[in-house]
Amino acid sequence: MGTFDREEAARLQRHLHSHLPSDPALRVKTLESLVVERGLVAPETLDAWIEAYSEHIGPKRGAHVVARAWTDPDFRVRLLEDAGEAIKEFGFEGSATGHLKAVENTADQHNVVVCTLCSCYPFALLGMSPPWYKSAEYRARTVREPRVVLAEFGVTLEDGVGVRVWDSTAELRYLVVPERPEGTEGWDAARLAAIVTRNSMIGTQRDLNPEAA
Amino acid sequence: MDGMHDLGGRQGFGPVRVSDDDPAFETEADARIYAISQTVAPDKGTIDWFRHTIELMPPRAYMTEPYFQKWLFVILIEQIQAGGFSVDDVLGAAQGAAPAKAPKAAKTPKAPPPVQSVDDVLKRVRGQYGSFERPARTPPRFEPGQRVRTLRHGHDGHIRLPAYVRGATGDVLRHRGAHLLPDAGARGEKRPEHLYTVVFTAPELWGDAADARDTVTLDLWENYLVPA
Repeated sequence: MGTFDREEAARLQRHLHSHLPSDPALRVKTLESLVVERGLVAPETLDAWIEAYSEHIGPKRGAHVVARAWTDPDFRVRLLEDAGEAIKEFGFEGSATGHLKAVENTADQHNVVVCTLCSCYPFALLGMSPPWYKSAEYRARTVREPRVVLAEFGVTLEDGVGVRVWDSTAELRYLVVPERPEGTEGWDAARLAAIVTRNSMIGTQRDLNPEAA
Repeated sequence: MDGMHDLGGRQGFGPVRVSDDDPAFETEADARIYAISQTVAPDKGTIDWFRHTIELMPPRAYMTEPYFQKWLFVILIEQIQAGGFSVDDVLGAAQGAAPAKAPKAAKTPKAPPPVQSVDDVLKRVRGQYGSFERPARTPPRFEPGQRVRTLRHGHDGHIRLPAYVRGATGDVLRHRGAHLLPDAGARGEKRPEHLYTVVFTAPELWGDAADARDTVTLDLWENYLVPA
């Protein structure tokens, strides 16, 4: 018995879904009361994890990495060669970034990332994933009609641009490196990082706005 | 397994609810589930078993439960299977019953668990950096540029070969070394196998009406592939 018994896990899924109350908040209270009562974790520790992901770990990290790649050609090479290793220079390595790959948008290729089987995402670099990334709509449609999905995000593509969809089916995680917008010549990395959006690093935004700085 | 989770290419869904500036967590409940998931995982668990337990949800529930509620069920089931608490403990606690005491056999730490600060958490997140690559046991069967075809069928267990790409022909873009096979990981086994990023044209996957400029790449293990 125990872990890795899929018949038992399926039976428990059915049983719990039939008997647990449907209110999400009540279920969470139930779970938290059990793990705290059993001494598995302190409530203050849960608060610390939430604060870490709300205040410290988030898409600003990815934005700094992209801005550095734009301003430091040697770093760009290191990032494209082994992004998982390159982000260690910032201390941004961690959960789900062990096999990070950076993919650059170019004049003729736009990259967009999805996870059709679950919702894989490079947490330590980009923080928690947005609601739409985890939605059935995005997961189902992005591989099949990427241009329609991108249009819903307001992305317009020129004629010569192909869309490459990266479906994260293994432990590789993908970071899209958007193109540096015109009108940002001479900007330093910190100023550039302020215009790099989360969606552009997933690929649901193509053109960055220098006036967003 | 051919479960509801295998959503790639399914039709009938409406527009994506687009947003570009979201809080880290949509609800406090989501935040607490994520925090619990990062702190109470049983020692023996694998990421593959975690994902497979989600796949084993009743299909109707899979389509209606919010994302982190799916995680909540996995955490409960992992704890029940590991003997941390029982089904009756869970249902009792949900009814507002006084929390059941741990059975004597269970290893309940006597001292309260140490409290982690935000700095501790940030260090732990860095410590979660890990590799799924292992020394290869065989030479790679395919090389970049080679044409490959995916298997037509999956199997009943955990597998990372989505239905929409089965029986399709593509080109190996990159060899990624040997990574732990998720099919084995979901059974608690460690089996490294060569992993490839394979690129498929949109018309190959979706028919001639698809845009010939577009491609889809997937990271696929060697036993999912045959020479084309």
